[in-house]
Amino acid sequence: MAKIYDDYKDHADFLTIYVREAHPTDEWQMKSNVKDDVCYAQPKNLEQRVAIANDFIKRFSYPVPFGIDDMSNAANDAYAAWPERLYIIDESGHIAYRGGMGPFHYNPAEARAWLAARFGGVTPPASNSAPSQPFAR
Amino acid sequence: MKKAWVWFGCSVGVLLLAVFVGLSIMAGSPKDAFGMVRYALPHMHRGTLKVGDDAPDARLVALDGSSHFHIRERTGIRPLVLVFGSYT
Repeated sequence: MAKIYDDYKDHADFLTIYVREAHPTDEWQMKSNVKDDVCYAQPKNLEQRVAIANDFIKRFSYPVPFGIDDMSNAANDAYAAWPERLYIIDESGHIAYRGGMGPFHYNPAEARAWLAARFGGVTPPASNSAPSQPFAR
Repeated sequence: MKKAWVWFGCSVGVLLLAVFVGLSIMAGSPKDAFGMVRYALPHMHRGTLKVGDDAPDARLVALDGSSHFHIRERTGIRPLVLVFGSYT
C-alpha cells in the first residue's frame, strides 16, 4: 500500500486505520506471526492499541497517514473493516470503491486501478517484493 | 423410532466431522480451523455499505494516543483512500 501511496499521494489523500488485531497471541495466532516476530496479545485498552500501532510505524517506516480505531471499534463497525479492507471515498463524500473482505478479497490492485482510471496509470511494483503485513502491501 | 434417531445423530456427527476436516485443510491445521471458527468468523461481516452510499464518519485516535480526528475531516477536496488493517 505504501507504493500506491507514493504513486498517487499527489492526487488523492490516504488514511490508514488500525483496527483490532487479526491474529493476536491470545486468539488465533498464525505460524507466520512467530516467523515474522509479530506477536502481540489483543489490546485490552487504547494505550496498548496505540503502542502496537507505533511499533508497526517504526518497524516499517510506514509513510501513509495513520489513525487508530478506538476501543468502541466505531470505524471498524461502520465500514465492516476487520480483518482488512480498502475503500475509496470520492470528493463528494460518497463511497466510490468498496474493496472485498480480507484476507482473500483484499486487493490493492483494484484500488490502484481506480486511481489509475482517474489520474492515469503508474507502473505497479513487482508483486514478489511485497512484505507480508497488510498495511505494507 | 429409536434406531432412526441413532442414524440421525450419527449422520450429523459425520457431517460435523467432515466440515471440521474440510476447515482444517482450508485453514492449514485443526488448530487454525478452531481459531477461524472461534475468533475470526464472529468478527467478519460483509457490511451493508455499497458504492454511492454516504461514507460513514468515525472518530479516530492519532498516533500520539491523545489527540483525535474524524474520517470526514479528510474528505471533500480529493478522493480519500481508506486502508483498514492491523499488525498481525
